Amino acid sequence: MLKLYDYELSGNCYKIRLMLSFLDVVHSIESVDFYPGAQHKSPAFLRLNPMGQLPVIEDAGMVLRDAQAILIYLAARYDSQGVWFPRDDPVRLGQIAQWLAFADSITATASVARLHDGLLYSHVDSEAARLGAHKLFRILDEHLYFCEQVEQTWICPGDQPTLADIACFPYVMLSEEGGISRIDYPALRRWCDRFKRIPGFVVMPGIFHAGPGLEASTV
Amino acid sequence: MTPNLHSHWFPIASSTDLVPRHVYQAQLLGREFAVWRADDGYVNVWENRCLHRGVRLSIGINDGRELKCQYHGWRYANRTAGCTYIPAHPADAPARTICNNTYPAREAHGLIWTGEHASGSLPDLGCFADGIVLRPIPLNAPAEMVSESLEGYDSDVFFLVQPCDSNRSIIRGLAKPSKRDRLDLLRYHNFALQELRDHIEGQAASQDTPEPLVPIISQVAAELVDLPVLHTIGRQADFTVTITNKETVAEDVVRLRLESLTSVLPTFQPGAHIDLHLQNGLVRQYSLTNGPGETDHYTIGVKREIESRGGSATIHDHLRVGDNLAISAPRNNFPLRRDAVRTIFIAGGIGVTPLISMAQALNVQGLDFAFHYFVQSETRAAFSQELHAFNEATTFHINLSPHATSEELTHILSDPNPTYHIYVCGPIPMLDATRKIAKKQGWDDEQVHFEYFKNTNKINTEGSFEIDLARSACTFTVSEGQSILEVLRSNGINMPSSCETGACGTCRCGVIAGEIDHQDVYLTDSEKAKGNTIMTCVSRSRSDRLILDI
Repeated sequence: MLKLYDYELSGNCYKIRLMLSFLDVVHSIESVDFYPGAQHKSPAFLRLNPMGQLPVIEDAGMVLRDAQAILIYLAARYDSQGVWFPRDDPVRLGQIAQWLAFADSITATASVARLHDGLLYSHVDSEAARLGAHKLFRILDEHLYFCEQVEQTWICPGDQPTLADIACFPYVMLSEEGGISRIDYPALRRWCDRFKRIPGFVVMPGIFHAGPGLEASTV
Repeated sequence: MTPNLHSHWFPIASSTDLVPRHVYQAQLLGREFAVWRADDGYVNVWENRCLHRGVRLSIGINDGRELKCQYHGWRYANRTAGCTYIPAHPADAPARTICNNTYPAREAHGLIWTGEHASGSLPDLGCFADGIVLRPIPLNAPAEMVSESLEGYDSDVFFLVQPCDSNRSIIRGLAKPSKRDRLDLLRYHNFALQELRDHIEGQAASQDTPEPLVPIISQVAAELVDLPVLHTIGRQADFTVTITNKETVAEDVVRLRLESLTSVLPTFQPGAHIDLHLQNGLVRQYSLTNGPGETDHYTIGVKREIESRGGSATIHDHLRVGDNLAISAPRNNFPLRRDAVRTIFIAGGIGVTPLISMAQALNVQGLDFAFHYFVQSETRAAFSQELHAFNEATTFHINLSPHATSEELTHILSDPNPTYHIYVCGPIPMLDATRKIAKKQGWDDEQVHFEYFKNTNKINTEGSFEIDLARSACTFTVSEGQSILEVLRSNGINMPSSCETGACGTCRCGVIAGEIDHQDVYLTDSEKAKGNTIMTCVSRSRSDRLILDI
């Protein structure tokens, strides 16, 4: 059975939990005491991932690290419809890869500010991290605004969400825990609501369910 | 900041920002707003702060009728912002004073406008009134600096600068309609304005950053702080409403739609009733039948009573559309729990009215319920449109004999479950039968909620006794023929009341000591047995003295 090395408060681990839920993949979870135990820097864990980072998965004898890499693997292996990572569509694949890299930049800024404010990371420059996150959020909000103008619901074209949405969502949604308000990003806030309404969506501490959308309403 | 800016209208959002079932976050002159559009189209601009723990309502849930706080689930009604439900107190009706701050809201020219004290007309936009709303550009700079920097931009664009805070603004532009492709135009100005934004932000960063504005959070209303003044008045008519629709919805049943002449109507909760003050001096109680979020009017259903004492007959025969009526604010002595695993509604005849409001609330929230409607004939079934909307949850029981009704009730109540709650309203024999059957089948008193429309018990007013008011340190004598309520009123104590016949529960009062002679039909048997609550309009004392908790 697929095993996820997981920390409940990690947005990167949450990306994998979301993907596993959306694809309904049977799996087990091995909790790693990231804070305060720093178990991800323990010798045992470093043998699994020399980078000393979460998440890591074990599946069919293979060990894989890096949230974005794991997302690609899971979609390629378990999404028989090819919805989340459309293998036969070069244009969308290129776009997805572009936003996966963008998501890594969000981790390097918004997540760092959150680690500083929430998990007592004192050695990082949280002010620079916040400024960096706002720059990225401006770009993503602008992109999503123009998506809405052509009735495009998700970050990449098509009727269905893709890995790009999963990769960007957690640290956008957790940004306020790092002192990064989203008041100036209305299109980003609306996309967050839409993301929460994807069937199979699961929550994590600090991220709540949305109410039902208009189309799902009984009235 | 000059104070008069608070009386100006400012745009705080594009109309398209307020998509259904979303809560938009805005800021103006330092104050934050939660802005949401209800399913009926109404735009709510509220203080971005839950009254309970101060959590931002902009992270809450817009269910189309109400806004639910994400933290402890307090629900606030569309339009009035009054609290309709507190999950931690499922059996209680929230006090009417629990009401969020609302701000004036207008929607025009593709924009949402507000202002703390804004009134009067919106700014005249001239030839830009039908303009294309550009993508708003937020920036970290004072509004005055932004406005200056926009001078000399394309004359085909009209700008409004939203002063979010002392050093934060939003550029909102309206472009003159042109032959140019709309998307092309949006992209062009978006790019140009972002360039300008970077320039202005550079300029602002080179200057001292002004201190953020500190909005004044309003204090608790004076009437909640001060001791109440002495009153001698009885039942009050707080509002004047106009009948804007009167239609026959079943044989001998009319539905009235009441709208306020002047102000927003107060918040109601499912199960609430109002007093209707008729022109002939009679005061009658009617349950509101509104669904959640229907806050721009009240609706009531009135059955013509065969033995009408002048209330229902007057309404049926003499009231017309356009007539004005005085009403009380809604009171809720029949609150609906929303924590039951399943709710069973049992309505008899016109007793359907409070239950129809309750069932609509559960239906909108997607909570499980069954609705049983006992009625003489199909033509007498009121609110059938609403009932059919509940689909298979609704069961009609038509023209059953008393015996058949009892059998049917026995069947409905055959499975007592501690997680279920029953709400029953209807004619007295049916109410009595339901309560008896429920008890026999093993339902707990606290699971069976009922509302009598009237008290047909003959009220005994014999004997005299004393009442001690524990908190007010006064003692009065209630003589033969007088009620406790009358004695309290004549001594300047404003006890609220409504039906004054022992049916509605409004004049309920705590009892610390003394033996109560209960004559009402509001309290349950176990509440009566506890002996710590009295209905002051009809009930009396068996002991020489009653100590009341007022």
